[in-house]
Amino acid sequence: MLKLRLRRAPREDDSPLVVPVAEGDAGRFPFAVAAGFVGAAGQVAEQPGPARRLILVGCGTPKRPLEWEEAGGHGLAAAGAVKRLALDARGLAPEAAAALAAGAALRAWRCEAYRAPGEKAPTHLDLVVDSPEAVLPRWARAEAAVRGCLLARELVAAPANLLTTREFVRRLEALAEHGITVDVLGRKRLRREGLGGLLAVGGGSASPPRLAVLRWRGSVAAPPIAFIGKGLCFDTGGISIKPAAGMEEMKADMAGAAACAGAMLALALRQSPAPAVAVLAIAENMTGAESYRPGDVLRMGNGRTVEVVDTDAEGRLVLADALHYAATHFRPQAMLDLATLTGAIVTALGAHRAGLFGTDAALLAQAAAAGEVVGERLWPMPIGARHREDLRSEIADLKQCATGRFLPDASHAAAFLREFAGAVPWAHLDIAGVDTLAEAAALGARGPSGFGARLLDMLVQMYFEDEERH
Amino acid sequence: MPDIAFVKPALPRHGALVLPLAEGAETVLAGLAQAIDAATGGAVGKALAAAGFKGRKGQSTTIWAPALEGGAAGPSKLVALGLGKEVTVEAAEAAGGALLPLIAGEREAVIAAEALPPPVAASLAFGLLLRSYRFDRYRTTEKEEDKPKLERVAVATDAASAVKSAWAPLRAVADGVFFARDLVSEPPNVLNPGEFAERLQGLESHGLQVEVLGPKEMKKLGFGALLGVAQGSAEEPRMVVMQWNGATGGKAKKAAQKPVAFIGKGVTFDTGGISIKPAAGMEDMKFDMAGAAAVAGTMLALAGRRAKVDAVGLVGLVENMPSGSAQRPGDVVKTASGQTVEVINTDAEGRLVLADVIHYCQQRFAPRFMVDLATLTGAIIISLGHEHAGLFSNDDTLAQQLTAAGKSVSEALWRMPLGEAYDKQLKSDIADMKNVGGRPGGSITAAHFIQRFVDTKDGPMPWAHLDIAGTAWTTKDLPTVPKGATGFGVRLLDRLVAEHYEG
Repeated sequence: MLKLRLRRAPREDDSPLVVPVAEGDAGRFPFAVAAGFVGAAGQVAEQPGPARRLILVGCGTPKRPLEWEEAGGHGLAAAGAVKRLALDARGLAPEAAAALAAGAALRAWRCEAYRAPGEKAPTHLDLVVDSPEAVLPRWARAEAAVRGCLLARELVAAPANLLTTREFVRRLEALAEHGITVDVLGRKRLRREGLGGLLAVGGGSASPPRLAVLRWRGSVAAPPIAFIGKGLCFDTGGISIKPAAGMEEMKADMAGAAACAGAMLALALRQSPAPAVAVLAIAENMTGAESYRPGDVLRMGNGRTVEVVDTDAEGRLVLADALHYAATHFRPQAMLDLATLTGAIVTALGAHRAGLFGTDAALLAQAAAAGEVVGERLWPMPIGARHREDLRSEIADLKQCATGRFLPDASHAAAFLREFAGAVPWAHLDIAGVDTLAEAAALGARGPSGFGARLLDMLVQMYFEDEERH
Repeated sequence: MPDIAFVKPALPRHGALVLPLAEGAETVLAGLAQAIDAATGGAVGKALAAAGFKGRKGQSTTIWAPALEGGAAGPSKLVALGLGKEVTVEAAEAAGGALLPLIAGEREAVIAAEALPPPVAASLAFGLLLRSYRFDRYRTTEKEEDKPKLERVAVATDAASAVKSAWAPLRAVADGVFFARDLVSEPPNVLNPGEFAERLQGLESHGLQVEVLGPKEMKKLGFGALLGVAQGSAEEPRMVVMQWNGATGGKAKKAAQKPVAFIGKGVTFDTGGISIKPAAGMEDMKFDMAGAAAVAGTMLALAGRRAKVDAVGLVGLVENMPSGSAQRPGDVVKTASGQTVEVINTDAEGRLVLADVIHYCQQRFAPRFMVDLATLTGAIIISLGHEHAGLFSNDDTLAQQLTAAGKSVSEALWRMPLGEAYDKQLKSDIADMKNVGGRPGGSITAAHFIQRFVDTKDGPMPWAHLDIAGTAWTTKDLPTVPKGATGFGVRLLDRLVAEHYEG
């Protein structure tokens, strides 16, 4: 992560200085006006000449922290391959200054672990502010969310031969240093719990399935909010194997679990008063002699039986067990699951919004609102009576998915999951279209987006930390 | 389809007698129900109790040949029909639909509706009528016993005039729905663009003004997109403009009042063109004109019930065929708006047709709003399934009005997003836009394509796009829709007008 230093004035060196300029405020810089720079959001102008690089970045008419974050991201990108840059936040409110830096930090992240050092992205940021004392607590809060997001990105970026189920769990266990307790269920305990969905999906792999339970106690005596994550370290599709083209992207099929882990880290880093628990279903879906088959009937953690139709619809099976486990062991006040679940949601909403499903109107509205605040946008999608009917099985309590052409599979999956959420207010985020950025955006380079970590953290901050609530 | 009549209550001497009963009403039978119970010496009441009939929604009990005391002639069949706790028009409509198969074997039926409020009684008959739709024009060998027998349904009521006045507009809407279902059901070798236009011309007898434009006129108007789609077919394209001028008030008031506008996609058969579709399921593509059919049905419904509104309905009618003269992927066409389109996929033709028709509609009529209906994308079925059509709109008020109207007539809509990021997916290297934006968000980018032909430069133009690819046809019987063409959109648009745009 970008190393940040708060300063009252820029360093006396040749590191570029990035100045955010609001729309209508560009008149101070004749060179920029001449170049057509008006301060529109995302617009960039650089002063020509040999002097220290001065980069103006337009922020439009920013009202929300997100817009400052985006300006910070654009500014970082405009600075290019430098080791250090300065962001001039003088004259800005402390919250805006912190958001500017957060945006820069999000945009600066690169996955560098697996290649020889090459062209350098910035590693050091000087945030120039009027009052470091005033900005520091704001930054601490913003930084927590950024670190959570970056943890999620690191995990998603990790290739599947390195991030095995065991390695994923090991990295989660390392979160204990931040005060998160981590409990990991191996095969023996999974059997005792009867989590037949997770055991079946993980059966074909040499890496064993795991259920990782992360807890943040918070300081409020209340039932926790629960995050449930799909953590398929790699998804070949199993016996219903996927086509070869694009299969490498399936290393990201654990992005839901990664986002939940990132959110937990953010809560811990900023010492959130809200108790939270993350239940992460971790497995690898491989073709093997012990793989589960289409036609198999599984007995799930809640005792229901499920007819497998397509072994590539494995995410809903592991989530179903994780939802049940969370609902029964923690009696949470709300559950949200995140999963790269269906191709159908990509067809429906593309790469700009995740699908939002659920049973509780208030929770759905809260999740959508939190998403808007952090720029991780959701769109409500239906679970209709017909979607549930389509899952009727001839042999078991329900089928895992429907068959035919043009299937609304995202809604089918949500209808399936609803059967396992019990009476707990529940929301399901299908993030299959948004886990990876195909091209750079204001708050991230090409690659894993970390979608969900900041959203969950913001959701808790906005709606679950009020002691009056309990 | 049976005739619907309204009669004074009297016990029928043959056929079916239907007792629509609210929850709890089965214990205190009144009117004809009480009469038949008395005539059978209380056997009917006992039979209902024995069958566990409670009047619950969706519940029904059939009693065959109830014996009347003294051997008097009576109904051959008695059907108790549950209406649920709250007897709403929606519940009555669904119950009426569910009733149809229970009495389809009789020639005549009497519905004992004395206890029902007039609008509820009318809705019960409406649901039954909608469900009784059948398209059997092309059956020549069907056995007599397989044909539907029900000829007449008499609604027994003491308030005949009130029920009749509730019935009249519903009957008009049913005619609109049936007109749309007929068009959608027709095979594509029969219903080509020319035939479609002729049938719409026939609506003049109902008081609509109808104009038909052919390729020459459309060429003059610069309809490069629509004509490009049509150029591979032996059938000439048409655009049909239907107008209903029902608004009341003086000339000055009428002049100030702009019409509401409905635009429909009418691809009478869609092979996909050069980007040809897979063979499996291609026969479904005869209903790729369901948007146009819904617009026509709506216009007929508005005319039929003399709606106090000025409305225009425009449909673009083409056939999309692969041939030596067909449009190719890579072609660039110029639309009537002047914007150019790079045709990447000739199977994304509906939006090309709509682009020209929508532009024409706005230029000519400057309407209050525009709603277009189209079986536009397979992606909307993958998004929502068959219970909701996709709703895309640039106007929250119009979107809410449509959603509410759809909810009340069982033609449900689900709002889908629009946004600049999606619009960008249409960027072309060579023209103003591509006609497809890739698989991700395929229905959204299709909506954005259409939106580019809604001109908001000189002020707002409320617009909504309904992607009805998943709801135009049903493979399962629904309460008021038998398997097949649904006529989706007619009731919805009629309700929209009735609720917000009349008077």
